[in-house]
Amino acid sequence: MSDDAYLALLHGRRVRRLRTLGVSIALAVVAFAAFCWSIAVGDFPIPVLDVPGVLLGQGSPKDDFIVNELRLPRAVVALLVGAAFGISGAIFQALTRNPLASPDIIGITAGASATAVFGFIVLDLGGTSIALAAVLGGLTTSMLIYALAWRRGMSAYRLVLVGIGIAAMAMALTSYLLSRAELYEAREANLWLTGSLNGRGWEQAGPLLVAMAVLIPIAIALIPKLRTLQLSEDTARGLGVRVNLSRSGLILVAAALASVATATAGPVAFVAFVAGPIARRLVNGPLAVLPAALVGAALVLASDVVGRRLFEPTEIPVGIITALVGAPYLILLLARANRVGRGG
Amino acid sequence: MTASTHHTLAAEDLTLAYDRDPIVRDLSVQVPTGKITCIVGANACGKSTLLRGLARLMKPSTGTVLLDGESIQTMSTRTVATRLGILPQGPIAPDGITVADLVAQGRSPHQQWLRRWSATDEQVIVDAMRATGTLELADRAVDQLSGGQRQRVWIAMTLAQGTDLMLLDEPTTFLDIAHQVEVLDLMVDLNRDQDRTVVMVLHDLNQAALYSDHLVAMRDGRIVASGAPAEVITEELVHEVFGLTCRVVLDEVTGSPHVFPMGRHHRRP
Ligand SMILES: Nc1ncnc2c1ncn2[C@@H]1O[C@H](COP(=O)(O)OP(=O)(O)O)[C@@H](O)[C@H]1O
Ligand SMILES: [Mg+2]
Repeated sequence: MSDDAYLALLHGRRVRRLRTLGVSIALAVVAFAAFCWSIAVGDFPIPVLDVPGVLLGQGSPKDDFIVNELRLPRAVVALLVGAAFGISGAIFQALTRNPLASPDIIGITAGASATAVFGFIVLDLGGTSIALAAVLGGLTTSMLIYALAWRRGMSAYRLVLVGIGIAAMAMALTSYLLSRAELYEAREANLWLTGSLNGRGWEQAGPLLVAMAVLIPIAIALIPKLRTLQLSEDTARGLGVRVNLSRSGLILVAAALASVATATAGPVAFVAFVAGPIARRLVNGPLAVLPAALVGAALVLASDVVGRRLFEPTEIPVGIITALVGAPYLILLLARANRVGRGG
Repeated sequence: MTASTHHTLAAEDLTLAYDRDPIVRDLSVQVPTGKITCIVGANACGKSTLLRGLARLMKPSTGTVLLDGESIQTMSTRTVATRLGILPQGPIAPDGITVADLVAQGRSPHQQWLRRWSATDEQVIVDAMRATGTLELADRAVDQLSGGQRQRVWIAMTLAQGTDLMLLDEPTTFLDIAHQVEVLDLMVDLNRDQDRTVVMVLHDLNQAALYSDHLVAMRDGRIVASGAPAEVITEELVHEVFGLTCRVVLDEVTGSPHVFPMGRHHRRP
């Protein structure tokens, strides 16, 4: 028995774990820096390095008010929305083994948006009810896609195709609703549909925090099942995974995360789509759900700051900046898929 | 890593269907414990379906699969996974996964809340990788391996599951002849040294004859013959199962029957 081989194996596995940990810490630092930057920027600039101190209650009363009352909730919303999209995208992509299968492409955010716009324009609902409508719409859409993609078991490929079809239908419905709306309402709805953090306060950040406190632990608990499910349905079942239960749970929690994020900030484009692949490349492994959350958070926070600074005092919605980041990646992926002849 | 307890596997009047058409019909079989069993038959006769049914990857339309004399449908998925390991056809290695991490997945039935990973798990993984000769590949990405290496990695994962019942669906596909023999030799090692019960679907009749203690020949979802290879493999049976005219000769060295197919051009009038 050579113990060298045993030690080498342990060492290799430890190195990979440490790499994931190191990448996660680095991403957390980047996300926190973007978080502080987001709070520092505004009509009354506060030095970035002072932000952590003010957050801990060590600032002047004026700084304390600006930071903790006015700017912190928006930064919290940006952080959580980014994390929610990141986790949701990573789960969907891993489950389907297809980078195109993120919730912003297979129609879940589009479904949430369509119901929110319906609630706003047709039913004249207000803030909280619209958010609930969006969450319900997103969850319903995910179940619809899952059911339509089912034929003697789930086919990941059908899920993507059905999802893209549903997304187109939801967007058509949204356009139709907008065309019937009053000008003012249509403008409001359009801003939200672009994905915007403008004016988000504790009324939005609070419920979002609660939802995330419930959903993230569920997602984390299901990660080991997801890891096994990636090996094919039969292999996973042979390894003791209750496939249908685990997969439904994963789809539901991922859809809920994307829906809650959409309900709070609108369908911020491409965050769910790019966060997973970036995180996987950084950790250099087959699955990186929590690093994807951090990538998503950093991306939304930084995009929001850029959107606010770029043409000050005019604010560019965060969704436009993230689209500028994500669209080239989609084109790249499609171009490569065409050449290789498969979905990436 | 010697399996101490022996688990038994059998099917009674088993019917398996995907839609309505039964693929496996009223089939009964007793897997000999501690032996190597090979399942042979023409393409699409239901070999993979039978294996999937035996491993509870699909639900029987009628009949029962008995694991340790108990209906497998009444057991939890995890209980089944700690007694019976299966390597199905066409498993998928996620992009970028390393050999060691893939083999480690074989331990997942043994992990539970709070009790995630132990020294035993690590030791079992190393043993499985050593037995399959994949230890030196540990840090390589599975998608960059050759077909033969990859197949051995999947077998290592199934081994790491630590079950004394192992079901493998065509473990030699995509391998060249030397690697096929290597994998089959490995199965014999596992059977002899670690006392594991092995059930394999093989498409090569001669290899099945050479490597099995017990041979099961299937046709149209039913068992046509079963028993020791020398008794099962006859010219009549090969004709019945594969529709093939052949000559069967007992090989003096190995003592196993050997099938020489006779195509239209090789028959004497
Ligand atoms: N997932 C499936 N859905 C529907 N039919 C299937 C499925 N898998 C196999 N079949 C059908 O069942 C029959 C037997 O297949 P299989 O058990 O794979 O045969 P073998 O392994 O002997 O080649 C074939 O006709 C095949 O088309
Ligand atoms: Mg088969």
